[in-house]
Parts: sequence; structure tokens; C-alpha cells
Amino acid sequence: MPDFLTILLASIFLPLFPMSMIFNIILDKIKQCWLRVLLIIFWPLIGLLIVLNSNLDIPDWVLTVALSTSFLYSLRMLTLREVNQWSGFLATSFWGLLWLPITQGVSADLLYWFAISISTPLVLLVLLSADLEKRFGAAYTGLYGGLARTIPRYAGVLVIVVIAAIATPLFPTFFIMLDMVVETVSNKPVAALTLLFIWLLWSWAGARLIQGLIVGRASKNKIADMNLNSISFYSIVLIVLIGSGVYLGGVIL
Amino acid sequence: MERLIIVVAVLPLISALLIQLFAGRIGRSIARLSVVFTTLSFLLSCVLLALALMGSEIQTFPLGGSVAALLFDPLSILLATIILGISLIVHLYSVRYMAEEAAYGQFFVLLDLMTAALLFMVLAGDLITLVISWYLVGVILYFLLGQDTRSQTAYRFAFWTLITYRIGDLPLILAAALLYNAYETWSLTVIFDEIMANPDAHQVLGLPLTQVVAGLIGFSAFARSAQFLLHTWLPYTMDGPTPVSALMHAGIVNAGGFLINRFAPVFIHSGDVLNWIFIVGLVTAIFGSLLMLTQNDIKKALGYSTMGQMGFMIMECGVGAFSLAIYHMFAHGVFKGTMFLSAGGVINHARQDDGIPKDELYTFAVEKRPNKASQPWLLMAAVTLAVPLVILVFAHLLIAQDYFHKQGAIVLLFFGWVTGAQLIFATYRMRAQNIWRLVGLSILSLLVVVLGYVFISHAFDLFLYPDPEFRAQLYSAATIDLLRFDVLVGVVTLTVVAGWVITYFGERRGYYPRQKSKRLWLNFYALISREFYVSDIYTRLTRIILSISGRLNVWLRWL
Repeated sequence: MPDFLTILLASIFLPLFPMSMIFNIILDKIKQCWLRVLLIIFWPLIGLLIVLNSNLDIPDWVLTVALSTSFLYSLRMLTLREVNQWSGFLATSFWGLLWLPITQGVSADLLYWFAISISTPLVLLVLLSADLEKRFGAAYTGLYGGLARTIPRYAGVLVIVVIAAIATPLFPTFFIMLDMVVETVSNKPVAALTLLFIWLLWSWAGARLIQGLIVGRASKNKIADMNLNSISFYSIVLIVLIGSGVYLGGVIL
Repeated sequence: MERLIIVVAVLPLISALLIQLFAGRIGRSIARLSVVFTTLSFLLSCVLLALALMGSEIQTFPLGGSVAALLFDPLSILLATIILGISLIVHLYSVRYMAEEAAYGQFFVLLDLMTAALLFMVLAGDLITLVISWYLVGVILYFLLGQDTRSQTAYRFAFWTLITYRIGDLPLILAAALLYNAYETWSLTVIFDEIMANPDAHQVLGLPLTQVVAGLIGFSAFARSAQFLLHTWLPYTMDGPTPVSALMHAGIVNAGGFLINRFAPVFIHSGDVLNWIFIVGLVTAIFGSLLMLTQNDIKKALGYSTMGQMGFMIMECGVGAFSLAIYHMFAHGVFKGTMFLSAGGVINHARQDDGIPKDELYTFAVEKRPNKASQPWLLMAAVTLAVPLVILVFAHLLIAQDYFHKQGAIVLLFFGWVTGAQLIFATYRMRAQNIWRLVGLSILSLLVVVLGYVFISHAFDLFLYPDPEFRAQLYSAATIDLLRFDVLVGVVTLTVVAGWVITYFGERRGYYPRQKSKRLWLNFYALISREFYVSDIYTRLTRIILSISGRLNVWLRWL
């Protein structure tokens, strides 16, 4: 297959605009939570499989498009209110950046690790969003608010999952972003600056999402909080994520 | 023994974990656990500080064989002790103050995490630990300020803090990445040794690496220490709990001064950056103080007062008086922390009885209407100018022969004296019957303050930077040429004298401006009351960005 076609195909899974819209269309159409989870786990892995098995010589313009796509989606995240859509945009923004380590010759194992580390908090967010839909009928920011008072355990987990997704220390996403900046700052300073701005926009979008959901007065209706089994599940996954983040940091930095 | 530094940093983390795990079972007495752990950590840090004072060597302790390490040196252990001291007071205060809060346990978890993050920040022996802890301080502060999850306002301003801190994180990350690429190590001590050995070994975009890194570090420090244009978060974050305000104003906001001190070996090769840092600090000090004077909300006035103080602290770094900045940080921390923590008591007392005699002091301090009685302005002006000379001669004889060469210290002492003299004169003159006694007291009190300041800063100098050559390099890096120095001192003197003249004539007219200048003053007041429109511009900018984001989403069908 010619390089251009391979890149075109890969750009669906390691999103490059406008092919990035395909993932978001599919995510929007799927209503089953488990299918969304599978989609988020396997989508970037398919992209990596395509790229790593094709001996591609990736041209420079791909990096420019990747950074622009990531920037575009991070900017658009600022005004999103639906939690699933927010997860999809963050996934698009983050997965697109995987083109950077690919061009830098990072090993295949590490690239798969990167992809799974990026997807895991997003999977948790999709699960939490499904919980929210079950309780309130929709997972929208600014619609009900006050989750910190209404369902405090759920709100606590949600906050930590969001900060894990937007590349906060000590989660793997943080070390992946830091590694990308370190690798680009000397050779491609503009790329490093763009990465930092994208990172900043994620923080902004994350804060808006958190505020739109947890802040406000408690609901007058009695709503069941997260049960202990669910808390244990989320806690274990988050602890594993932190552990793998620290380990990943030791490996790549 | 110095290895205990790891225990000092880890104890608050263990405390946070235990509270999170057992808060449900133990209930509100869980706060005592937090106090016990903070006390233990504080006592250990005191022991380590004593070791450092006795001349213990600088050592690095790796954390679990990774790149992360903690550094035991005078700066790190001194700041760790200060942080733990302030944190302990805040913990003790919060046990009862926060007792009626719904998320009582969560508050102590966050407080312990904040203490741990600050400790890792000041004890960091490598760039990774520094960047991580620097970043986490902003995130934890966001949640501490938003402790009241019912309040949209609290979260709105907590967000301002978060975004400013994140903006400040970016240059630090860039600086760390550049240093790593150049020296292929994350270790701060190794990097600093190499910079000291060969400062011009690396270049970035045609500029010396040290200058680029110093500029980035400076920018990072500006965001954390609320320097002008990055200050808007500070006066508005008063909706958070009082203990958080105390911790923020007494400790967290000082991080900029710490960062510049930590990177002192980089700054001694970046004289131009130090000059810029001085200017930014100066502008911040002036604008912060100006805005403080015009606030009618006492909490915002306190916020702007901190901004002004941070300006002074950064200015001190800019003139090469690095250790003076650390002393300033400590003194201001204790002072401002006390103010915040005693605010509740004062308000409670004032609700029952304001107890303020409506005398001349009240009209000056509260109503800001100085007394009209004529006073010997010329005498006081002469004293104000003469005393700094006497102090400088003392400093020259008693402390260091080369004191006159430390331009920065001279400028700061001059500033300190002039402002202090004016304040004491304006405050005490109203009750003074005997003018000579007043002048004598003013001179004596200021001699104590200024000489004390000089001696203490000298002691801090000897402790933090024991190498005299290094100290000399710091001052020399900040030195400007004689002509610029003279012009600067001339401008400052003229400004002060002009201030005196305006006040003198203003007072003679009874503070009623002429019709012509009235409009000018009103416009100036409008400008200040809108806080120079900085927040308005940022709000407008934010709306534009959000509008672009929304439009893009509509055009692209939300896909």
C-alpha cells in the first residue's frame, strides 16, 4: 500500500483532522457503555498496528497536522458539556499526539503502553458517564451540579479520574506529555510550545467539566451514591495507574 | 541522620492516606492524627535544621532508586521547617475552625497533601520532583480554595488560581526539558556544578542556555508569586476557608522567591534577567501597594498587600539580595499568617463592640484623612535623607567592607527607610506633643528595624550561601552600570520628594483639589478602582476564546 494511503488509514485511528471526525461520529452513535469502552481501548491500538507494520516513512507535515488536530480538539473541549463527547474529544486530542513518539522511533512496546495509559482514564470516565446517565438521565455539565454534596463518593472518584485524564502528576499521561516535551524542545521548539498549550487547554477544559458537575447545592431528591464495590474498583485502577505512571516515568525519563 | 529528610517529607503523605482510609470510622477526631503527624514532621525538620546550622554537608538522597531525589542543603531544610511551622499552626487552627464543615476529613487530607507537595518542592534534588511538586501545589490549592463546593464564586476564583499556576508551570517544564537535553541528567546538583564550571557551554536559539533558563524560571516564579499581570487570582481568592488563605498568603505564594533562590547558580550568569526581575518586582510592588490603598474591601486589600510584598521579594532577588528575599518570605509569612488567622477573632469582637476611639489615629488609619495640624516637614525630610547615610556607614564598618558595592542592598535600604520614616512620621505625629521626642523615637525605631534587617539578612546570607565568592557573584550579576544606577536613584529620590511636596501643598489646602486637577484625579481614581482593567481584559479574552471554541463546534457539527 502506498505511504499516503497508509497514513490516511492510520489517521482514522491515530486521529488527524478531518479523519478524526469518524471516531467521534461512531462514539456518538454507540449507546452501549461496554461498546464505548471497547472502542476507546482498541481504537488507538489499531492505529499503532497499522503504522508499526508498514515501515512508513512519516513526512513532517503529518506532525504538523497531528499537533494542529490535537490543538483544535483541545480548544473545542472548552465548550463541551456532554461527558461522553468530552471524553471522545480528549481521546482525539491525545491519540493524535502519538505521531510524535512514533516519528522519534520510540519502541513498539512503549507505544502500546502509551496508548493504553491514555485510554484507561478515558474508559473510567465513560463508565462514570454511564453511571451519571443512569442516575440523572444525562451526563451533562451545568444541568444539575452539586454532585459533591449529592453523591460525594461519586464526585470524588470523578474528580480524580478527570485529573488523571488531563495529564496530571503522577498519572502516566503526565509522564507521556513530559517525555514528548523533552524530546521536542531542542529540535522542534514550536512543537514543544504547542504541546504545552494543548496541555494547558486540557487543564482548562478539565476544570470546567469538574466545576460544571460537582459545584452547587445538593439535590433535594435522594440519589444513591456509588457503592463500596464500585469505589474499590475505581480505587484499584487509579492506584495501578499511579504505580504504572511512576514506573513509566522511571523508564522514559 | 540527614536521611531523615525523607521521613519529614513522607509523614504528611502517610497522614493524608490514613485520614482518607479511617475518616469514616474515627470521625472528627481524625484531625488530631493530622496534627500529630505534622508536629512529628516539624520536630524532625527542626533537628535537621540544627544539623544544617552546625555545618552539615549538602547531600542528596535518592527516592527508591529512581531519578527522584531529595536534597539536604541549608535552603531546603530552612524552608521545610518554615513550611511545617506554618502548616502546624494552620492545622491547629483548623481543628476547631473547620469543625462544622461537611467535608472535614477531606479538608485535612488536602491540607496534608498540600504540606507534602510544598515539602517535596523545597526538598527536590532533581528537576522531575521539582516539576511534579510545583504542578501539584496548583492542583491541590484549587481544591482547597474550592472547599465549599456549594459556592460557584469560590470555584470561579479557584479556577483563576489554577489557570495562572498552570501558565506558570509551562516555563518551568520548558526549562527542565532544556536543562535535561543539555546536561543529560535531572539532578539539580550535577546541573548546577556543570553550570558553575562552564556557564557558556550550551546555547538555545543562539542565546546562552543559562539566560534562557533564567528567563523561564523567572516567568514561572512571577506566576506563582502574583507579579503584575499574573496577579489577578490573589486578591480574589478570599472565598476559600480562612486557614487556606493563611497558608496561601504565608507560604504558597512565596514559592517564586524559593524557585529563584534554588536556581541561583543559573542566575549568577544571567545579569540581564536579574535586571528584568527587578523591574517586574518594582512594578508589582508599586501597583500592589497602590491598589491596596484604594480597596474598600479589607480582604482584597490584604490580597493586594501580599501582592506588593511579593513584588518587594522578587525585587530583592533582582538586586542580587537572594537570602534577603528568603528572610522577607519568612517575615511576611509569619506576619500575614497571623493577620489571617486572627481575622475571625477580630470580626467576632468587632460585632460586639468596635472599640475604636474616633480619635485622630482612627481618622488617619481607617478614614484615611490625615491630620491637618502643621508639622515640621523640612526637619523630617532632612532626617529621612540623613539617616540612611548613617546606617550605610554602620553597615560598611560592622558587616562588610564592600557594602557600598552592593547597589541592590543600598537601593532596598533606601526604599525601606523612606517608606518607613514616612509611615512612622504620619502615624505618630498626631499624638505627639513634643516634636523632638517624636523625631528621636522615629529614628530609634527605624534604626532597630533597618539595622536588624541588615544583620538578619547578613546571617541568612552566611547560612544560605556560605561561599563568599558565590555571594559576591550574586551581587555582581545584578549590578547595573553606574550611570543607570545614578539615574535610578535620582528618579526614586525625585519621586519621593515630589510626593512630599504634593502632600505638603495638598495638606495646606485641606485636601480639596482644584477644579482643573479634579477631573484628572477622578479619572485616575476610576482607573485604579477598576484595578487597571486587567481582570476585565482577561475576562474579555476568555469570552473570546470560549466563543471561538463554541463556533468551531457548531461549524464542525460537534464532531
